[in-house]
Amino acid sequence: MVKRKKARRKKIHQQAVWPRVVSLEERDKVLSFWEERFGIPKTAFDGYVLLSTSKNYWLFVEPPDFKPLQGLRVQTVGLLFTRRVSRFLKPTSTALQRFGSLATKNIVELSPAELDRLRRQRKMSYQADLSEGYVIIKCAGKVWGCGLYVSGRLISFLP
Amino acid sequence: MVTLTEAPRYFSRYRRIIPDFSDFLAHLRQDLPLYFRLNNLKCPDPSLVIEGLERQGVKIRPVEHMPLFYRVEPRDFPLGNTEEYYLGYIYPMTLNSALPVLALDPKPGEQILDLCAAPGSKTTQIAQLTGDKAVIVANDRRLDRLTALVANLKRLGVASALTTVYRGEEFPFGIPFDKVLVDAPCSGEGRYRQGYEGELLYQKEGHTNLPAIQKGLLLRAFDLVKVGGVVVYSTCTINPDENELVVDYLLRKRQAKIVAQQYPQKHHEGLTEWEGKILHPDLRYTARFFPHETESVGFFVAKIQRLV
Ligand SMILES: C[S@@+](CC[C@H](N)C(=O)[O-])C[C@H]1O[C@@H](n2cnc3c(N)ncnc32)[C@H](O)[C@@H]1O
Repeated sequence: MVKRKKARRKKIHQQAVWPRVVSLEERDKVLSFWEERFGIPKTAFDGYVLLSTSKNYWLFVEPPDFKPLQGLRVQTVGLLFTRRVSRFLKPTSTALQRFGSLATKNIVELSPAELDRLRRQRKMSYQADLSEGYVIIKCAGKVWGCGLYVSGRLISFLP
Repeated sequence: MVTLTEAPRYFSRYRRIIPDFSDFLAHLRQDLPLYFRLNNLKCPDPSLVIEGLERQGVKIRPVEHMPLFYRVEPRDFPLGNTEEYYLGYIYPMTLNSALPVLALDPKPGEQILDLCAAPGSKTTQIAQLTGDKAVIVANDRRLDRLTALVANLKRLGVASALTTVYRGEEFPFGIPFDKVLVDAPCSGEGRYRQGYEGELLYQKEGHTNLPAIQKGLLLRAFDLVKVGGVVVYSTCTINPDENELVVDYLLRKRQAKIVAQQYPQKHHEGLTEWEGKILHPDLRYTARFFPHETESVGFFVAKIQRLV
């Protein structure tokens, strides 16, 4: 019982220090990935900045001034946006659920039965005319999150 | 815990200030109606949610004068187990709980502090009303409740909030907040009804001194907001000691003004006298919402402007 509480506490405290505010160049690199891979225009993120922790980028509204906010002991800042996985960028399901409806490509439309199977098995064989890489998993008009399409298989990163 | 048979005695203290007292008591026997707020940050098309839920056998209808709010029948339908909930398209909440944020009237670009924020029904409502473009500092003193807040921010796809765990009375100075919401811990009398599983905090043995805590929180909120800024103080209790008397305390300590506010729900003026104590006359501009008149939880809302 006590142990579980401790684990939780740790999880939420991981950002007790302020994440780094990334430069415009770095922000542009991450947003270029979203644009190239999914066709989501960079303008969709106007008014937002990116913050960085060890392996993640977070999306946060641009404040009038960061300085005063940085005096706070924060638990979380913004929305978990994109992860850095070795040399690659990987969109989070959280961010895709919010912005994925703006995408124009690399979208996988599943039937409810297929979605159900993917969620249960975590991977399934799948053939589509897509380039390999991260895809947006959609079903009946709703964005569910992130998958990986590679070698004729679909791998789930759904929460 | 007050049982339903004890309710007439418990609430008799308020007989004079609750309109149609016997209707009020009768109303406590009904289940609370079920509502949700549609998350327009995430949901591209409301019909996706409405049709999806109706396919599961419920009836959905929009609430008049309250955009994005819908009523659900039957009222025991488990909204929290649905795909629509899981994907963050809806936030179940009682109607009156939306009123403090309507009084706050948040705007994009503002810096807003939600001092007692968990589990986040109002934080996420602020994010929606500002198109996710106000800086929202969502604070709660309890880490376990903050975890629920963080989960709700993630579920609803909110990017404009940061979270902190301070005792509200000690929230640090230095940020020029345009607005502060104090949705204070309270005895919860407005939530009381048959089958109610919570507890009336005020009645708890060795109860904490809620009015003292509330006064401390409101005073700090006032000192944190910039001159000309707005503080909204709200509770879900009927008890004047936790409502008008707390605001009266602020009005005596600081240069503050109560701002009159229109609401889409039936309400009554705040009290200017209670148990022989004469309160500031402007307290009539605060608002009381009663369960039986609004088919919701009882609420108190005060909109306050900092003058100096
Ligand atoms: C009425 S609830 C807030 C509900 C929330 N605003 C919402 O709409 O979802 C009151 C909250 O105040 C928090 N609280 C209690 N004492 C506090 C204090 N001294 N400072 C900050 N938060 C406090 C409680 O943990 C609780 O989550």
